[in-house]
Amino acid sequence: MKNKMMNKTQSWNIITLFGILIFGFAIATLIAPDTEYSETENRTLAQMPEISLDALLDGSFEADYEDYLTDQFVLRDNWIALKTGTERVMGRTQSNDIYFADDDYLIEAHTGTFTSEQAATNIQLLAQFVEKYSGQFADGHMTVMIVPNAVDILRELLPAFAAPYDEGEYLENVQEAVSEAADTETVWFDARQVLQEHSDEEIYYRTDHHWKTLGAFYVYQAWAEAQGYAVPSADAYQVTVVTEEFEGTIQSKLGIHTVTDSIELYLDPEDPYYTVEKDGSGEISYSIYDYSALDTKSKYDIFFGGNNALTQITTRAGTGRKILVIKDSYAHCFVPFLLSEFDEIDVLDIRYYNQELSALISDGGYTDVLFLYNASGFAEDTSLAKLLY
Amino acid sequence: MVFSSLLFLFRFLPAVLLCYYLVPRRARNFVLFLFSLIFYAWGEPVYIILMLVTILVSYAGGIAVDAMKNCGRPKAARNMLVVSLAVSLALLAFFKYADFVLGTVNTLTGAGLQLLNLSLPIGISFYTFQTMSYTIDVYRGEAHVQKNLISYGAYVVMFPQLIAGPIVQYKTIDAQLRGRKETPEEFAQGIHRFLLGLGKKVLLANNAGALWDTITALTVSEMPVLTAWMGLVAYTFQIYFDFSAYSDMAIGLGLMFGFHFSENFNYPYISQSITEFWRRWHISLSTWFRDYVYIPLGGNRVSKGRHIRNLMIVWLLTGFWHGASWNFVAWGIYYGVLLILEKYVFGIFLEKLPKVLRHLYCVLLVMLGWNLFMFGDFTQSLTYLKALFGVYGAGLWNTETIYLFLNHAVLLLLLTVGCTQLPKKLGNAFTVRFAENDVVILTARGLLYVGIFLLSVAWLVDASYNPFLYFRF
Repeated sequence: MKNKMMNKTQSWNIITLFGILIFGFAIATLIAPDTEYSETENRTLAQMPEISLDALLDGSFEADYEDYLTDQFVLRDNWIALKTGTERVMGRTQSNDIYFADDDYLIEAHTGTFTSEQAATNIQLLAQFVEKYSGQFADGHMTVMIVPNAVDILRELLPAFAAPYDEGEYLENVQEAVSEAADTETVWFDARQVLQEHSDEEIYYRTDHHWKTLGAFYVYQAWAEAQGYAVPSADAYQVTVVTEEFEGTIQSKLGIHTVTDSIELYLDPEDPYYTVEKDGSGEISYSIYDYSALDTKSKYDIFFGGNNALTQITTRAGTGRKILVIKDSYAHCFVPFLLSEFDEIDVLDIRYYNQELSALISDGGYTDVLFLYNASGFAEDTSLAKLLY
Repeated sequence: MVFSSLLFLFRFLPAVLLCYYLVPRRARNFVLFLFSLIFYAWGEPVYIILMLVTILVSYAGGIAVDAMKNCGRPKAARNMLVVSLAVSLALLAFFKYADFVLGTVNTLTGAGLQLLNLSLPIGISFYTFQTMSYTIDVYRGEAHVQKNLISYGAYVVMFPQLIAGPIVQYKTIDAQLRGRKETPEEFAQGIHRFLLGLGKKVLLANNAGALWDTITALTVSEMPVLTAWMGLVAYTFQIYFDFSAYSDMAIGLGLMFGFHFSENFNYPYISQSITEFWRRWHISLSTWFRDYVYIPLGGNRVSKGRHIRNLMIVWLLTGFWHGASWNFVAWGIYYGVLLILEKYVFGIFLEKLPKVLRHLYCVLLVMLGWNLFMFGDFTQSLTYLKALFGVYGAGLWNTETIYLFLNHAVLLLLLTVGCTQLPKKLGNAFTVRFAENDVVILTARGLLYVGIFLLSVAWLVDASYNPFLYFRF
């Protein structure tokens, strides 16, 4: 027995070392200032909960305090990186539901997302929304577009034998439900097929959960053709790389640094005039791009400065068309392509919009409506009931 | 509160160690008592009342039993004991088994009684057994009565063994409660033991559990045979590493405060018969049932028929102790029957089998036992059993089986090795090989334990890692 061989000095060494570890980290977490928002993780961190007798007795203080302690633990990012590193050493090709895929891609598996109750409910909610409003729009002027995630399109890059859920199955269910609700096939646009044709190109970020502007461009091209709009070619745009230092949300989840991504803007060389107003504030700006986001961790926020309840864009396209885009953040790099086709583009994030959608639609005088979400975001969303308000 | 949490490691443990060693010796039991109450109350403070009632009832019971014995009234002593035990068992029955009874009545009669839906007080099965052992031992004259309420309270609610054992019989630590000598050697030994347990829990048990969770999330009726077995293997590892890790941490923490708890696990998965398995698995529970049920019933010094009856009673109770549900009862009966069969039917043949076959026999039966245990529900157990034996015709394996196996091959290897005495033997061989060279041994040992500590913390920090990525965009 090795322990029996320990003498007094050695024992004191062990006790001292252990003491340094537990007291050291305990004191460090006590004196280190709390952080409100984690740039790496892109979320607000738990704060010291308020203590009260009620909260103590029902156990909520205790639970909140433990969340606070974990969120504010010193060197948090380094601990997470250490864990991810160990998993890689142990031959894991997956960590936190993220695949370490070929070609430096980090790809979320979305395990369980599409088979959850929420996923099924959301199809029903969307179908009811389509049924409620499809009569108000001319045939082909209401489009539902659910963009599959990288895990579905970049299958070739996944680790050997990985068999994630086939998003095509879920999307077919959505297609069926909305087509039946609208009583027309034209309500569904198949973004999946378009992206599959380009699966060997850079259409998803390597470190982030969004698609790249190139992916959005291909889908816009195909959709514009289906709608009978002008179909732009790639050289119609001034493709501008605004950063090559983007480390996205998936990388943050793992706490490690792998590669960095570039973000491209597809700018109209003629630099057309348009105005942007957020949430009816009366404050007008003249760009949908927020370059200051490039100085932060969430560089994808260059598009629209991130999420916002209602963003209204007025252009001088002169087509007489007015569109309502109900969307999640996948739409942020898609909407710029609409600038030349619509006089007014209202971009609505239903998750943050707390007024009645029916009022907005009846007062808005829209000729078109586009519902654009990414597949996992759509399946997991908990606010789609608001579609029927 | 659980040991494997940042809260315990970096708030509770430093605080209790500091207070414990700063106060004079005579106040140390009080410090332990107070901190243990905080430990127990954390997250569910209302049950502290239940804990105090339990302590007071058995404390008073012990004194009453002792007083009656001393004034020569054995009958009255016996009555006191019965009252004290009845209260303990009634509390356990109410909080743990009430809904089970109501549910069973509802099923049988359709009475539609309202369930109580009480949350189970943490550790109630463990500390109830401890208080019962105390009063019984006082009655039997095997333990001294403890008149100091603080010392007695510290014994019942003592945080190292409070939530998951080992079940400490009062007589084994009576002397330590009255006066113990904490030594740096034992403290250091306790640190090692605690860290080994922490690593076992956080690094091995939790990862085995994650694999099990992944597999149970699949549709069982479409599950290939090998995937189902991989799941069962993962669960088999998880329950052992989890449970024995808690005992390791408890024993380690005990040493830090000068207590010696007895061992609770002794490499159960290397057993070559079910009889051997139960000598190596959750030893403090088997010992408790042996001392307070089996032997009082006559043990094996009775006729064959009565012996079989005794075994069945003990195993029925053992099963029922594990949970308020019929499948735990069935799990207990399963072992009762196996033990009787080994004793009276095929034990002799078993001994003639080659070692490897005996081992296979034991491990397979234990795993099938877990299949009965792990769901808390017969239907699910049966469904899973069918998958294990390919009844659904989902094939032997699919790509997912290979993917899961490749991803967890290193883990499964570590878990397998961890069940054997190999790591211990390697450690000993290393110590012998470098016996002349203290520096090598100290460095290796330091690296090992600091490594386990740091990796465990990393896993604990990330376990909570559940970012709400759509919060801001």
